[in-house]
Amino acid sequence: MSLSSSVLRAVSGLLTPHEREAVLGDFAELGANDWRSIADILDLYFRRRIMLWKSWRPWLAAFGLAIPSSLTLMGLSVSIAQSGQRWINACVLNGAQVTLGPGFALLLSNIVLLVAWSFTGAFVMGSISRRTVRISVALSFVPCAFCLARFRIESLSRLCLLLFMIPAAWGLAHGLRFAHIRLRSAIFLAAIITVLTIPAWTSKGAWLPNWALSWPAWYLVATASRSAGSLKDRNPWQTN
Amino acid sequence: MVGEFEYVLLTAAATLGDDAYGAAIRQQIESTTGRRCSIGALYTTIDRLESKGLVATWMGEATSERGGRAKRMVRLTPQGVRAAKDFYNAIIRVSRKASWAVEGRKGTV
Repeated sequence: MSLSSSVLRAVSGLLTPHEREAVLGDFAELGANDWRSIADILDLYFRRRIMLWKSWRPWLAAFGLAIPSSLTLMGLSVSIAQSGQRWINACVLNGAQVTLGPGFALLLSNIVLLVAWSFTGAFVMGSISRRTVRISVALSFVPCAFCLARFRIESLSRLCLLLFMIPAAWGLAHGLRFAHIRLRSAIFLAAIITVLTIPAWTSKGAWLPNWALSWPAWYLVATASRSAGSLKDRNPWQTN
Repeated sequence: MVGEFEYVLLTAAATLGDDAYGAAIRQQIESTTGRRCSIGALYTTIDRLESKGLVATWMGEATSERGGRAKRMVRLTPQGVRAAKDFYNAIIRVSRKASWAVEGRKGTV
């Protein structure tokens, strides 16, 4: 097999099976040379990728969710890691009595918020624009790389920045498989997030990041309620 | 209203009838317009027309001259025919008083 045929074969893998069949058949019928065919396939592939970005969805997933959410959730991840470390030091290592006071409640509330925000944000990111999800995920790593390089807290591991990634990966996997979640689950998540962010409403600077992280939960409520009437209740996760 | 290239593609597919598929449409466009038609422009436009409900596509039979590969067949829907007619009528109306259209009519009389 010649070099051009091998490259053509590899490049045609960028197309879907049906499209590959039709396009390679067209080339064979027209007697197109391999290098011209390679250029044509790349042209088709990039046109398809560009067409995806004519919709608002990939823009919202990449710049309305991936970047701002990962930036904010990294801050919350570090805050939880520090609070957790302080609590463990005080209660376990120093042998002090375990007290479930306001500090512990705040830590617990932040953990629940981190899980709920990460899950809902990643779910929406995966479900609203599946075909550009790799770019969204790559963009969410940009703030992470920046912060990992500048992380200067001696007592904490750099990996604390990435605590949010675990529930986010869980949410993303579900978002890629399903368009929306059951209405009851969506309302439950949105209600928990809203109730837990109430204390921050009075603080001046916190409302913006809170709403930037909370809207995906209410988006899930909206999509779930829109489809609740038409879909059967076969599975807790409703498919497209 | 459809765009210029969409109209050209719809017309080529309508002209070819039951033989309208990727390579045949491409050749028809190139021979009638005298311009190169890339596979990328052809298939992305077919997708767009299909999403607008103006054409229907399906995988046809495989032939030996295509190396045993199937064709992507294209057929205009009733909406596609209407959209092409609307575009054609609009071009006729727009061109009615243009010098080249008037000269063309005089030439044919």
